[in-house]
Amino acid sequence: MVKPTLVTNSIRSLRFSNHEMTQAELADRVGVTRQTIIAIEQGRYSPSLETAFQIARVFRVPLDAVFQYSDEQG
Amino acid sequence: MTFLEKSNWVVLIVGVPTLLVYMAVVVPQVLGKSIAEVSWVQPMIFTIAGFVVANILGNVVAAATNPREADKNDQRDREIDHFGERVGNWLMIAGSIIALVLAMTTADRFWIANAIFLGGMAAALVSSVTKITAYHGPFQRW
Repeated sequence: MVKPTLVTNSIRSLRFSNHEMTQAELADRVGVTRQTIIAIEQGRYSPSLETAFQIARVFRVPLDAVFQYSDEQG
Repeated sequence: MTFLEKSNWVVLIVGVPTLLVYMAVVVPQVLGKSIAEVSWVQPMIFTIAGFVVANILGNVVAAATNPREADKNDQRDREIDHFGERVGNWLMIAGSIIALVLAMTTADRFWIANAIFLGGMAAALVSSVTKITAYHGPFQRW
């Protein structure tokens, strides 16, 4: 449950570069709760592949522009 | 806070005092009388009924505070819910096994009923604590 994730993300900077989109707005557009967006943004939760693609689609960028996977082994 | 998290807080806020009241009524009797004389059936029925009714009312209040969020849940909510329920189920199973052993050893029905009852209450409370902890800490299922 508390296994650290090697997945990092650029959601915060992408939100700001997209007209300072709020977490609530992103949550509405992806179809998840605002709390889930907060948890993803803070690296406390790794979303499903489908949710990850939906987030990338909202920002109109490829998946690896939103999510990155660290080379370091956990 | 999502509705499901509020709902788990309701279980804790209602469950802990309900269980303490039951213990306050029954434990002094167990210490002072023989088990056959302990009045536990009515307190247990009132505790279970009170727990269920207070939970329903608590959920209604939680939903009323933010009706837009009340029917909203997503994959993370469902994963946290499944995880918490799985932890709670182990306690429910433990209570049932203890009750089974007590029945096999022809223990008084007071002990059998209370093993099931306490297993169920512990399952509900621990499950809620697990879910609330998962909401606030790292939660990775991959």
